[in-house]
Amino acid sequence: MPGLILRRLSISAVILLVVSMLVFVATLLLPGDPAQALLGQQATPERLEALRDQMNLNDPIAQRYLHWLGGLFVGDFGVSTASGGSVGALLGERIAASLVLMTAAAAISIPVGILVGTYSALRRGRVGDHAATGISLVLAALPDFVIGIALVTLFSTTVFTVLPSVTMAPPGEHVWDYPSQLILPVLTLVLVVMPYVIRMMRTTMIEVLDSGHVEMARLKGVPERQVIWRHALPHAIAPVAQVVAIQLAWLAGGIVIVEFLFRYPGVGQALVDAVTNRDVQVVQALAMLIAAVYVVVNLLADIVGIVTNPKLRTGGTR
Amino acid sequence: MTQIDTHTETSPAVVETPPGLLRRIIRQRQAKIGLVLTGIVVVVAVFGPMLLPWFTGYTSTEFVGRPFQADGLFGTDNLGRDILSRFLDGGLTLLVFAALATGLGMLLGTGAGMLAAYQGGWLDSVIMRGNDVLLALPQLVFALLAITVLGPQGWVVVLVIGITHAPRIARVTRSAASAVITEDFIRASEMYAVPRWKILVRDVLPNITGPLMVELGLRMTYSIAAIASLSFLGLGMQPPTADWGLMINENRIALTLQPWGVILPVLAIAILTVGSNLITDAVARASATVEESK
Amino acid sequence: MAIGVGALLTACGGTPTAQLSALAGPPQSGGTLRVGLVGGGAADTLDAHIPVSTTDIARVVNLYEALLYRDENFDLKPLLALSATPSADAKTWTIKLRKGVLFHDGRTMTSRDVAATFARIVDPENPKSGASSLTVLDEVVVLDNYLLEFRLNTPTATFDDSLGQYALGIVPADYDPLNPVGTGPFKYESFTAGRRSLFTRNDNYWRDGEPYLDELRILNFSDDNALINALLATQVDAIGQVPLALLEVLETDPRVDILNSETGMWLPFTMRVDRAPFDDVRVRQAFRLVVDREQMVEQVLSGHGTVGNDMYALYDPGYAEDLPQRVQNIDRAKELLVEAGYPDGLDVELVTAPIQAGAVEAAQVFAQQAIAAGINVSIRRVDTTTFFGDDYLQWDFAQDFWYTRNFLPQVNNGSLPTSPYNETHWANPRFLELVAEAKTTIDPTKRNALITEAQTIEYDEGGYIIWGHPNQADAYQRYVGGLVPSGTGLPLSGFEFRRVWLGGQN
Repeated sequence: MPGLILRRLSISAVILLVVSMLVFVATLLLPGDPAQALLGQQATPERLEALRDQMNLNDPIAQRYLHWLGGLFVGDFGVSTASGGSVGALLGERIAASLVLMTAAAAISIPVGILVGTYSALRRGRVGDHAATGISLVLAALPDFVIGIALVTLFSTTVFTVLPSVTMAPPGEHVWDYPSQLILPVLTLVLVVMPYVIRMMRTTMIEVLDSGHVEMARLKGVPERQVIWRHALPHAIAPVAQVVAIQLAWLAGGIVIVEFLFRYPGVGQALVDAVTNRDVQVVQALAMLIAAVYVVVNLLADIVGIVTNPKLRTGGTR
Repeated sequence: MTQIDTHTETSPAVVETPPGLLRRIIRQRQAKIGLVLTGIVVVVAVFGPMLLPWFTGYTSTEFVGRPFQADGLFGTDNLGRDILSRFLDGGLTLLVFAALATGLGMLLGTGAGMLAAYQGGWLDSVIMRGNDVLLALPQLVFALLAITVLGPQGWVVVLVIGITHAPRIARVTRSAASAVITEDFIRASEMYAVPRWKILVRDVLPNITGPLMVELGLRMTYSIAAIASLSFLGLGMQPPTADWGLMINENRIALTLQPWGVILPVLAIAILTVGSNLITDAVARASATVEESK
Repeated sequence: MAIGVGALLTACGGTPTAQLSALAGPPQSGGTLRVGLVGGGAADTLDAHIPVSTTDIARVVNLYEALLYRDENFDLKPLLALSATPSADAKTWTIKLRKGVLFHDGRTMTSRDVAATFARIVDPENPKSGASSLTVLDEVVVLDNYLLEFRLNTPTATFDDSLGQYALGIVPADYDPLNPVGTGPFKYESFTAGRRSLFTRNDNYWRDGEPYLDELRILNFSDDNALINALLATQVDAIGQVPLALLEVLETDPRVDILNSETGMWLPFTMRVDRAPFDDVRVRQAFRLVVDREQMVEQVLSGHGTVGNDMYALYDPGYAEDLPQRVQNIDRAKELLVEAGYPDGLDVELVTAPIQAGAVEAAQVFAQQAIAAGINVSIRRVDTTTFFGDDYLQWDFAQDFWYTRNFLPQVNNGSLPTSPYNETHWANPRFLELVAEAKTTIDPTKRNALITEAQTIEYDEGGYIIWGHPNQADAYQRYVGGLVPSGTGLPLSGFEFRRVWLGGQN
């Protein structure tokens, strides 16, 4: 098993490396001179040359790539053309803010999703199940911003006007100083992610409930409650853990839309702003950040799958 | 229940042909609802532009009154144009782009997946690792990266969404094709020196339509969502084009004043994606039933 | 949804008139005023002499004071100078300073500080934005502690107008922008660029009783939606520059009052007269004829504004008001284009950015209007930082925004080859002659005639498309007192927070 994990680890590392190359290519494809863009009106030929040297723009491509890559590891993400400041400084609080959102969303959607999925499996075929499955289907289909706008219209602007629709924490204060403005963004993320958790939990639980040892337990006369808790759930954890991990990874990408919608000052909003301003360094840094989260969480999901189910085939399915 | 596939030129194959599958799909209630919902929105999107200006009295670009007022039929938008007219004009590009992106993805993904399954060996490894790389970034982030470099243009969006669909489709295709490749009739075709592409297209492809159609549905739903999302971010269709995603972003600042500019396109996108997903779900069930009965 | 429709039906009023604060006097002392503004950024500064963004200007008006200033009726009034008197030939201006004005650090303001301030502004190594208005200044001569002379190299009848700019705040000789000291009603406490500024009451302020507030907080918001929501959630007490299309959102809230001021502000399209196709005057005239000005005011400003006639300095006594109001004339525009060699119309790129509420919308409406004349406008939208970046003032076809100014100060800022902000690269020789002469003409009637003539040249051949003069709309909580409409175009009573007080319930 350790060998398996190690292999997964190294594959993930290689994948990240290749992704970094892809992301770096974006710098090369962008028209214009980054040094000129940064210096603006203060550009004299001497200062341009000096800055180009400093930014290693005259080095061969491979060297620039390695320099950028190395910078990523030490936290030097380059300079933002929009603010003129370092990208790293820009991102510090943004990451914290996004983490708040993601953690809150995960903390709600996963337990609730597991519960609803289990309930659905137990009440299979009956009204409760149909309702849960139906709602899951609808939510899974809707684009995130549609869910977000629907919530805003419902609770903020048109039907009820109780919650804020925009993040308004005045600068200098933290987003969590005003918890009411976190409700709608978190709720949106929860509704986006939960359907998959529900469906996966439901399918898994159904399989497990139909499985051999649950039948055995029932035949032995074990009370139903114990059957569920002691015999069914443990076997359902493994695949569900994988889905959960995948959903967490998904959250990393999903926050882009939600943060833009609610003007939430996190990583996703920063990414959209950077793309709109063609601020390549920021886009690259954020893309790598999100890719890293994605790969790491998927890796963890794989590891959980391996660890909890030794019967998992090598090179298996995901 | 087996059917003889009269299309293959070699030995008979055990397969549920698309017509049979379709019948099975449509019989389900979910599919019926899905088709109705999707149908309504598609009709509005496709025929909407043709209805202007005689149906509403306005084109989608002329100015009708002050911004966010109640003039016109559903009010005016952020520049004072008629919301209903903008709405009728705003769905076609979305559908076309979504279809193109999905088609591109299906083409690339199915091809890569079948090749990987059939050839095996190093080609399989290369394709699968390539998949993993493409899958390492969320689709949206990938699209944002491409747009940063190439600018917010229609073809960029279609291209990048299509490319990011491919690995997901390739994976499904590969696993479905693997099961078929080992069948005897494939060996038979090889013995007759039928060219590889013919084998793939004539023998393999028809046998994996079930999972492929499910993928098609899923990808189509996602394409619509992704392209609308990009326009919503301001990185897809650009003003003054009438586009549902763009409309939602342009008008949401005045939600308390004039909600229709947001509500109409949101409803359309919602109904479209839900309907599409219902159909996909029905297809999944139908082909699952087929699998079980084999 | 029914509730939403109901709410929007109640919001249909007539054209809102300027409302005075519903809060009756007398002013009460104390409290913190939180002001929300959009438009700040990483390049924000506390420097008295280079304010660029809206938040910069807000800070400058409250930390520092110039010799004269323009009040809410756009009248030139004394500030740190009790009087500014020209000599008979208008080459020497004598300034009598106000006595007993203290800087934030307790020192007394004297003529030496004024001289040092002007030396700093016109320093050829590092000129500040006010330097363009001061090219006529030869030297500042200190006569005694509270008396000095501005000696000019050319007679300039309207030099006092130039002195009444907010970018000419008086600072001590040892001024350091990182530790800013001025004479304004508030003094510096803390500042984070692009985020917030904190100022506290200047207890030594020379105006009796003012300021009333203990503390002033200026908070930067990234967009209008957040700004409006912050006011509605009572997270700020006043917001400046509300988008005119959204005034109704605020009008329906009983806790909020609106300031809607008519101004001489302008939001022009700028055409570079030294670049094709705009170097051909017929093309410029065609573009001006393409605009449906009433429609622009309706669609971009929701009717809150006045139609423009391609001339700035609306409140100048010499404003050429007898020139016919230009209206849309597509046929004539097409004729001109044919004459200029564009029989099939032409393609141009218009660069726009959210530099001011309504800018991007104006670009979009113009593009739509231009189609009828065969002009295909492709809009290139950039962010504010890029817009004011290294291509600023070089764009062939773009926009800009200006507050209310009279003709000669405006010309100094934007219509001379030496101006810091000459977007159109306008350098018409006859115009320059007239302007030079007007500056030295002491007799107002003659001067106004010269101004009118100069404006006529711009009316015929200039590079600006001035389609309208937007109103300036702000909003504030009912408990904020002392805010009045202002014709200067600067938000929230010209940012004069010294007059503001908080009353009743917070």
